[in-house]
Amino acid sequence: MDTVPVKISNRKSRVLGALLASAAMLLPSVKNALADAAPEQGIVSMKYLNYHDSQTGDTDLTAGMSRNRMTVNALSFMGMVPIAGKWSVAGTFIEDSVTGASPAYHGSGFPANTSSGASGDLRHAGDLNVTRYFSRGTLTLGTSYSQETDYKSLGCSLNGTLSTENNNTTFSLGAAWNRDTIDLSRPNVVKSKKSDTSGKKRVLSGLLGVTRVISQNDIIQTTVTLTDGDGYYSDPYKYPDVRPDKRRMFTFMARWNHHFDGPNGTARFSYRYYSDTFGIRGHTFDAEYVQPLPNGWEITPLVRYYSQSAADFYVPVGDAEFADPAHYTLPPAGAEHYTEDQRLSAFGAFSYGIKVRKELGRSWLADVKYEHSEQRNNRGINGLGDPGIPTFNMSAIQVGLSRKF
Amino acid sequence: MNRGMVLARGSLLSLLIVSGLSGCSSVQPWEKQNLAKPEMTFEGDRLDTGYTEHIYSSKEASSGGAGVGGGGCGCN
Repeated sequence: MDTVPVKISNRKSRVLGALLASAAMLLPSVKNALADAAPEQGIVSMKYLNYHDSQTGDTDLTAGMSRNRMTVNALSFMGMVPIAGKWSVAGTFIEDSVTGASPAYHGSGFPANTSSGASGDLRHAGDLNVTRYFSRGTLTLGTSYSQETDYKSLGCSLNGTLSTENNNTTFSLGAAWNRDTIDLSRPNVVKSKKSDTSGKKRVLSGLLGVTRVISQNDIIQTTVTLTDGDGYYSDPYKYPDVRPDKRRMFTFMARWNHHFDGPNGTARFSYRYYSDTFGIRGHTFDAEYVQPLPNGWEITPLVRYYSQSAADFYVPVGDAEFADPAHYTLPPAGAEHYTEDQRLSAFGAFSYGIKVRKELGRSWLADVKYEHSEQRNNRGINGLGDPGIPTFNMSAIQVGLSRKF
Repeated sequence: MNRGMVLARGSLLSLLIVSGLSGCSSVQPWEKQNLAKPEMTFEGDRLDTGYTEHIYSSKEASSGGAGVGGGGCGCN
């Protein structure tokens, strides 16, 4: 007598299961929730960047130091093609041109020839990645190349992911190798660093990560990256500047995306901790909110806060330089390593920006993004910075277009 | 124990905690429509990310964290 209801219950359960499975299959990319499924569509994109930075002498100690620094115009292209449902090939290419100059020490010592500085005039870079998709994971082999008038970099990488059976947890493992060559014979290289022998640098990185679905609306990711660099780390265009030839870096990153059902928007948060053997500790906080709007529009406001401590061998602005910025500060007597590079001083930076996207039909997508950032020596959470460093501002505008096929 | 070891162990512990959160929920495939939205993935707009990471890593001492691979640059 009891068997009939049980049979009915089992049949109902099977029917319900089949309906749910069918519903899941109808969702466009539901299996792509952890992004390890083979892409069904290819994509081509291009993006233009205009970047400009400047410094502002807005305190008594930095008065008179306001000036424009560098402008970069860049154009980049990206393409990704799925192959046979199990492979994809993706590549990017970028060309950027740099004008202007960065200071040789602290916020002073700009070259008379304004096309010098740490960067070359023209840079070309590209990368190519081939990915094989498996039922529960991916394997990606990548190679990269970058060339400037004074700098060349070659690299390769291998990244893999493995998901649990329910696809709610994905483990990531990656390794990368880079070989950089710096031309030290160029006319603008500082006299004491000039050499016919190029500087070399070898960098090895390893990454371990976990991505985890927490709920229907929450996904988190944590990664740990270790990087070991060996070779030429000094800046050929800055003085006084002699840096250690070994740099070991540690990065911990945590990211959390949350979807809001009501407005159908998504908040994206991230935190990064950075430390290295130069003695630098850094904290980065990012937050952005993606809000889809009617008629294919989407708007994303974003904010970012960054703070870093100074390198152990950073030399702050001294009395003589305060009196006359044309005279750089002498490093401590007998010091093996020293630098007066603003980027290795302590500071805090606040950034804000906005990105607007518009779907154009079913295949095209256009976007515009503006971002502004301001670095100040008294804005850090790693202690006060060097009061002789002027405020540094940078702004970037991106305009992009992409098409799916 | 030096600071590096403390950080390494802390980070590995956080990885284990994240991977061990399986008890918190078990989201079924048909409940993942929001998770499948492009903005819920961690990849984002590749060219935008490339420009943005390049700008910040050339003006700040910190870099990396989201992945490994890619070319070096004379700007940093």
